[in-house]
Amino acid sequence: MGKIIVMTSGKGGVGKTTSSAAFATGLALRGFKTVVIDFDVGLRNLDLVMGCERRVVFDFINVINGEAKLNQALIKDKRVDNLYILPTSQTRDKDALTKEGVERILNELCKEFDYIVCDSPAGIERGALMSLYFADHAIIVTNPEVSSVRDSDRILGVLSAKSRRAEQGMEPVTQQLLLTRYDPERVEKGEMLKVDDVLEILAIPLLGVIPESQAVLRASNIGMPVILDENSNAGQAYLDAVGRFLGEDVEHRFTTVQKKGLFSRLLRRSA
Amino acid sequence: MSIFSFFRSAPKTSAVQAKERLQIVMAHERVGRSGPDYLPMLQQELLAVIAKYVDIDANKVEVKLDRGGDCSTLEVNIELPGRDQIKAPSAVKDAVPSKPANGVAKDEDDDKAVPIKSAASVLTNGGVSKRR
Repeated sequence: MGKIIVMTSGKGGVGKTTSSAAFATGLALRGFKTVVIDFDVGLRNLDLVMGCERRVVFDFINVINGEAKLNQALIKDKRVDNLYILPTSQTRDKDALTKEGVERILNELCKEFDYIVCDSPAGIERGALMSLYFADHAIIVTNPEVSSVRDSDRILGVLSAKSRRAEQGMEPVTQQLLLTRYDPERVEKGEMLKVDDVLEILAIPLLGVIPESQAVLRASNIGMPVILDENSNAGQAYLDAVGRFLGEDVEHRFTTVQKKGLFSRLLRRSA
Repeated sequence: MSIFSFFRSAPKTSAVQAKERLQIVMAHERVGRSGPDYLPMLQQELLAVIAKYVDIDANKVEVKLDRGGDCSTLEVNIELPGRDQIKAPSAVKDAVPSKPANGVAKDEDDDKAVPIKSAASVLTNGGVSKRR
């Protein structure tokens, strides 16, 4: 029976799609059969980030409406075994996501896959609610910045009130924080909230800290999940986070300023 | 770091201010979220009881819950009509003071005067509730 993970944040532009793509790829790299679903109906982008935009024929909404079979809409990743993408519709709107339709598709996917990663749209409206409603695990993507932290808190409230697990009195959705775009240098200068500050405010366990990294833009430019750029800090941080998600004890990296040695300073190399 | 900076109190960095602002605003919002949803019903029922005795305007009733550190207050503000507008119901013999007193509800059961504009009483002693 597959587990449903929702990547959510409330606020837009904090890295949900980047993180969904990276995380799903990371789980597949570990040998788990994984599908990543775009819930951002009308504003689909997961296909671009995953680099499969030209292979989309049918989508999530087609499957919900019975216009296509699930297997026709699922796109198999060409780089990583066990990884599938379920893109969403670019022309419909969020009303196309019915609770019954979403439940039916997720149930079907749960039979076949180990992990189903739901990439939530921003906001707390229908699309976001549908993406988190059936979740077993929630990964809260947050930037160390006031509006993002506040919105994350709001979405935590929604998770603990409006998810299926909450409504049916089941064991609550597990909640973990993924702090993205973290810049240790600015933290050191007192210009950015510390990891510990955000943890104290949100009071949920830390899954990982993804450092601000140029590799993220480079990866999305070419339609590659950044986790496949194993030389980048961000890619390594995502690999670590996947390990932690799977219960491994991985020490946090990239949370402090990397002191550059004389040699690397002379060579002017940067990560 | 110079020796002088030891004596000066360090100015708050913007990150520290961000944290403090977040803590304040979110304490507020979490209360609203976990807060009681009985207030609208309470307001209606209070209104119904008072309306049995006094002719009141439903729009002039305010029910507010303030959560403090050790004690929370439930504040009920009901504006009663002035003396001239009153059609005294049979249950109430004497007139309502036209300028009602502002203050805490008194326990005295003086049937001469219908209290009161503002009543406040301690409701619970829950502090700002933490979600988890």
